[in-house]
Amino acid sequence: MELINNGQMLVSGAAMGFVYALVAYGFQMTYATSKSINFGQGELVMVSTFISLTAAESGLPYALVVPLGLLVGAGLGLFVERVAVRFALAQKSEGWILMTIILGLFAISAAENIWGKDERPFPTPIGRASLDIGGGIGVTPVELSVALGVILVMVLIEVFRRWTLLGKAVDAVSADRDAAELMGISATTAIAISYALSGAVAAFAGILVAPITSVGPSMAATLILKAFSVAVVAGLQSGGGVAVVGIGLGILESLASFHIGSGWRETPGLILLILALALRPNGIFGKAIIRKV
Amino acid sequence: MITKRQATEATALLLMAVVPLVFGGNAYIMGLITLVVIYAITLIGLDVTVGYLGQVNLGHAAFMALGAYAAGLATTKLGWSMAPSLLAAMLVGLVTGALLALPALRLEGPQFALATLSFASLVVILLNELEGLTNGAQGLSLVRPALFGIKLSPAGFYWMCLALLSLIWMGMRNLLSSHWGRSFEALRDSPIATDAVGVSVYGRKVTAFALGSSLGGLAGGLYGFDFQYLQPDSFRYDLMVILLLGVVLGGRKSLWGALLGAVLIVMLPNLLSARPVFATIAILGFVASLLAAWHRRRISSTISFQAAAPIAATGLMVLGGLFAQSLEDWRKAVFALILFAVVVGLPEGVMGCVERALAGLFRVGRRPLPLPCSLDEVLPAQEPDQEPGLENNGAVRLEVVGLSCRFGGLVALDRFNMKVRAGEVHGLIGPNGSGKSTAINVISGLYPPATGYVRLDGRLLPSGNLVRAARAGIGRTFQNLQLFFGLSALENVMVALRHVYCLPLPLIMLGFGVREEETARSEALSLLNLVGLGDHAEIKAQDLPYGAQRFLEIARALACRPRLLILDEPAAGLSLPDIKTLLGIMDRIRERRIPVILIEHHMDVVAQLCDRVTVLDGGKVIATGTPGEIQTDPEVIRAYLGSIACTGGACTGVANNKTSSAAC
Repeated sequence: MELINNGQMLVSGAAMGFVYALVAYGFQMTYATSKSINFGQGELVMVSTFISLTAAESGLPYALVVPLGLLVGAGLGLFVERVAVRFALAQKSEGWILMTIILGLFAISAAENIWGKDERPFPTPIGRASLDIGGGIGVTPVELSVALGVILVMVLIEVFRRWTLLGKAVDAVSADRDAAELMGISATTAIAISYALSGAVAAFAGILVAPITSVGPSMAATLILKAFSVAVVAGLQSGGGVAVVGIGLGILESLASFHIGSGWRETPGLILLILALALRPNGIFGKAIIRKV
Repeated sequence: MITKRQATEATALLLMAVVPLVFGGNAYIMGLITLVVIYAITLIGLDVTVGYLGQVNLGHAAFMALGAYAAGLATTKLGWSMAPSLLAAMLVGLVTGALLALPALRLEGPQFALATLSFASLVVILLNELEGLTNGAQGLSLVRPALFGIKLSPAGFYWMCLALLSLIWMGMRNLLSSHWGRSFEALRDSPIATDAVGVSVYGRKVTAFALGSSLGGLAGGLYGFDFQYLQPDSFRYDLMVILLLGVVLGGRKSLWGALLGAVLIVMLPNLLSARPVFATIAILGFVASLLAAWHRRRISSTISFQAAAPIAATGLMVLGGLFAQSLEDWRKAVFALILFAVVVGLPEGVMGCVERALAGLFRVGRRPLPLPCSLDEVLPAQEPDQEPGLENNGAVRLEVVGLSCRFGGLVALDRFNMKVRAGEVHGLIGPNGSGKSTAINVISGLYPPATGYVRLDGRLLPSGNLVRAARAGIGRTFQNLQLFFGLSALENVMVALRHVYCLPLPLIMLGFGVREEETARSEALSLLNLVGLGDHAEIKAQDLPYGAQRFLEIARALACRPRLLILDEPAAGLSLPDIKTLLGIMDRIRERRIPVILIEHHMDVVAQLCDRVTVLDGGKVIATGTPGEIQTDPEVIRAYLGSIACTGGACTGVANNKTSSAAC
């Protein structure tokens, strides 16, 4: 029984881990181009999921809800970049940290007033009936869809970066902003694109996870800290690695909440984050930065 | 003598102290003003990191929580009285602050903010889950303990808080006007240069962060004794946002700003409950941002983000004030809008603007400069032994053995050897990319070497550590200027005068640092005279002409009393008269018999100044000798000009012209 329980925790934890990995992947995209991340990304996920929910409840078919959600996420990402990031980056200050927190704060207040503070279920055509994968451990189609969806998006974005001109431009800005600008690439546009993609990815993560966790203003805070942990532990500079760390963290916290108590669910991520910062500040997969004079 | 500033502060303190005599019976007003004082203490603490260190700290609410619970548990479980409980709260803040800062402050930017954010979440989870100790989410009731056996009335408690605030205010004032405050400015301008003068950026940041956290802990303890009830959730994200709002709105890097911020955040909830007042203030804000935009419009024709954003934010607030059903429900959104408008439109905060306006009205009298002290006191001449300059004469001061340094696949330095003798000016030349800068960066501890070691006066030099190398006696300048641009020339030099500052931090906070400060001023002035900047002592480094900035870097490096001075292209970009001044400065340095490594592209300068020259190419030493020997060395000529087969004087003449024009 104990073994089966642990196995079950492993599966459901891994499904959540995929979601953390996806949001963390979004952080890495904006960090690569602009050395900044959206501290209100959790709120972005929440707002875009709420909008998708409203669309689904008003009768829009699921096949249209997903692209709509992605568009909303991209739009919100662009909004964050324009309103909270661009100004601070132009001043070469870290003001964007505070500015994105402020936007998030506004978003959460607005969401509480528009959609209410209660958790709401998210409709999905994908089945919830558990399939036995051997040894009495079950996996639901929803959980499978999360894993598949996350992998699909990551592959698509890699394709975009490697094989499209626009993607290469974004990569060029990540590698060396000044050199890219001298080649006629607009860094501002590249940064905006990275924020739009990051927003779309985060929105998709929301749509994938919402059938499991339900939608509510509190989903922002719980999601964001873990995505932060994954991004930092894997390394903000490195593109890969987030999936491994994300799944690992998902499993770890699912086990922690099962064995120690549900109140402790968040602690593994936080401890992991502080440990990683203390021991390997550039992340497991990150590279050390050389101080230049 | 009482200055204007002290008089203002004393008046404010007196005014705040008499409030209970007037409104003592009014519990509501007493509650408000007590909270203002407590918030002022915590905001002063938060301002240390957010303002003076310039790093976004999202963990301050957690230190308040830890302090509150430490004091609360000390009274409820251990029966301690007021003073020891508050001391415990402060210590808990200090220790946990240091523990968090040790790993976290090695990080910059977002990683630091993340570390503090996750620490804050962790603390709230722990307080909630450790029910045996903290009562968890149910909360902890406590009774305000007696202070030295006296039971405190609400007014008594308020006066105690006010007394603590005044002490902290004085301590911070002393700290900020000492070399500590100056190093905060310096490390924000150029952390590398701060390290290079032997003032550890990391050490200063950790100490300052722990200090700020201890104030958070103390304020938390007071907060607990004020409300006499504690709940982990009152120290969540919301409190952090309110605290940040206080610092940003009041004005960063200002004690008055912290006090003003405290007043504003205590007033805010009351503001939200009175709609007409809120709407009026929102409209005033809207009009103010419109006026500001109109004012700016006259300067530039396009409407900037900085002008538009506050209009949008205050406009939304006006709409909210007029149409929202319940402002209380939109509390967070209102905070967000205010913060947004202030961060973008009023980055210095309210106090910053007030101070700027006041500075225009009353000119603050400058402190007169002291007399410069004698140069022998500042820079004792180093052991005068044999004649310098002659081959194998004079004791070896610096010995570099087998130094290698790689960046990925690039070998920047390959088994580099070099000796610098007492009183010698040793040139280090080579074509671009030959490894000169890497060599001095490894010697001065900026990069760790892959192999090899450096000895200074027979002792092994710590490798890969800028601060420790500087403390061991390496002074250096930078190829790209690394001045503290916001500080005056005098202050730039004072930052580096480590040998003058011996007092421990607590004594400085108690105000004993004044004498050291006077000594430092006169020593710094004497060094400025040495480089010919004595008349420019009070000019900000950023306003000095380019040549003077280069000389200021030399004066700053000398202030470390270096046992070896490294000058990285001091003549780069200098005009002819400036080069003459530089030669004069070098003569005076030579008189003090300080060994010098000089990287330079101007061959005439090298020939004139250097006793010996080492030539690098591709990371390897290709020649060593007197300038005359070097100029005729075929290997050197090949490195500079390619493999032109030639011998004799005609070719070296070409080499000279080529290299000196290449440097321009």
